[in-house]
Amino acid sequence: MLDADTNPLPDIDVEGLNHVVIEVDDLEAARVFYTDGLGFVESGQARWPGIDGGVVLNCAKDQHLVLVAGKNPIDLKDTGVHFAFRVGLEARKKIAASLGHQGIETFTYKEDNPCEEANPFYFFDPFGNRVQLVVGQDIDGFVPALDHVAVQVGDIQWGEIFYGRVLGLSAAHRVGWATADYIRAKDWADGKEDMAPGTRRLDKRYSSMVNQKVLPRVNMQVYFDAGDSTLGLYLSNQHTQESPEFEKLGTPRVAFRVSQRGLAAVCDRLRAENWRFYGPVEHSDTDLISASVYCRDPGGNFIELVSNNT
Amino acid sequence: MADVETLSHSGICVHDLKEAGDFYCNVLGATHAGAVNFITEDTLRGRSVHEAYMLGDFLFAVALAPDLMPMPPEDQLKGAMGIRHAFTVKRDHFDDVLSKLKANDCRFEGPVDQPEAGPFGQSIYFKDPSGNFLEIVWRRDEDAEYNAVPDMAIG
Repeated sequence: MLDADTNPLPDIDVEGLNHVVIEVDDLEAARVFYTDGLGFVESGQARWPGIDGGVVLNCAKDQHLVLVAGKNPIDLKDTGVHFAFRVGLEARKKIAASLGHQGIETFTYKEDNPCEEANPFYFFDPFGNRVQLVVGQDIDGFVPALDHVAVQVGDIQWGEIFYGRVLGLSAAHRVGWATADYIRAKDWADGKEDMAPGTRRLDKRYSSMVNQKVLPRVNMQVYFDAGDSTLGLYLSNQHTQESPEFEKLGTPRVAFRVSQRGLAAVCDRLRAENWRFYGPVEHSDTDLISASVYCRDPGGNFIELVSNNT
Repeated sequence: MADVETLSHSGICVHDLKEAGDFYCNVLGATHAGAVNFITEDTLRGRSVHEAYMLGDFLFAVALAPDLMPMPPEDQLKGAMGIRHAFTVKRDHFDDVLSKLKANDCRFEGPVDQPEAGPFGQSIYFKDPSGNFLEIVWRRDEDAEYNAVPDMAIG
């Protein structure tokens, strides 16, 4: 047991997801897909601070989805990486119809996180990003809100220390720490449960590789409460190319909203932990966010802490 | 002759690594010493899922049982499901352990007086959350510079 749950810093006070920056290989096609197909609204912002170009889309609850041109094709089909939007039931029906019309397959995976068990709904956007739609009673109209994001790290305990101890998020649910999780993985291996990619593995036991025996296992996951949002942390199920340590500002990127006081606490804490960061960067008065701190988590995922003007 | 010097470490199978870690650290004062299969490299090698802890100079691993293990009756606090681990504390700290167990709602049996002729003074018997039998004992010869291997026929 590592000391990740203790000594949280309530001063940081993460209030929720503020925006998510995702990469697409065709900006115009993505703009049409996310506005006409999913109900997002173009913000009209000419630029987003920290982003060179891109399309800024408004979500419900003063959140934003930012689309940027990616350098490489994305293939997240075998990983746990995804982002989820919260929509009303009627909106999801409309989106499902739109996806069907476009020939996009949808999935109803069983869930590891109990709070996501109802009405699972996943699909891949045409640009390789896995998207989940969660039904939320608090969403009026047809504009989605950001519900949660899942990222992966090569060391889940180190990841837990970063998000738990450094950023002060609390771990609400764990998968992979209990025998029951591994027993359930056998159901997946036997074809009795359709689980989302990145949640299960077939490990090759090094002691029995001669026979190529495989062992069905659950892939470790920690779900953090992040204000009114959730961050899912997955153990990478394959080696991945991480962003270089000296880079602090990049894409894709997950941005959490904190209070102005919290942003100062973030800087203090990152400094105290010898965690490299960039900022705080003050944005212009016309920007929708007033200041940002940029860093990367232990898995090389780009993270941003922002405070809003509103 | 194998010329065994001493016990190196133990492996204790548990049903929940987090629960076990909380128990051994918060109740008994163990410190975290390592973890396996929490990084991608370990998963690709199919290594076992376990964490290592230190209690005093005793190194032990809590290993995740791949299947549910038989559990002893809930009321049984003293026994051995194949093995029982007994940890030594100084007599002065014995009551502290009792307090810790009570504070963490951990049921125990004891203190049980041990035979006066033997090296052990008193014991407390209890279980970890996965039903592994444990014992805390203080020794009459705790001030000796070197504790000889006890005569197990006595204790």
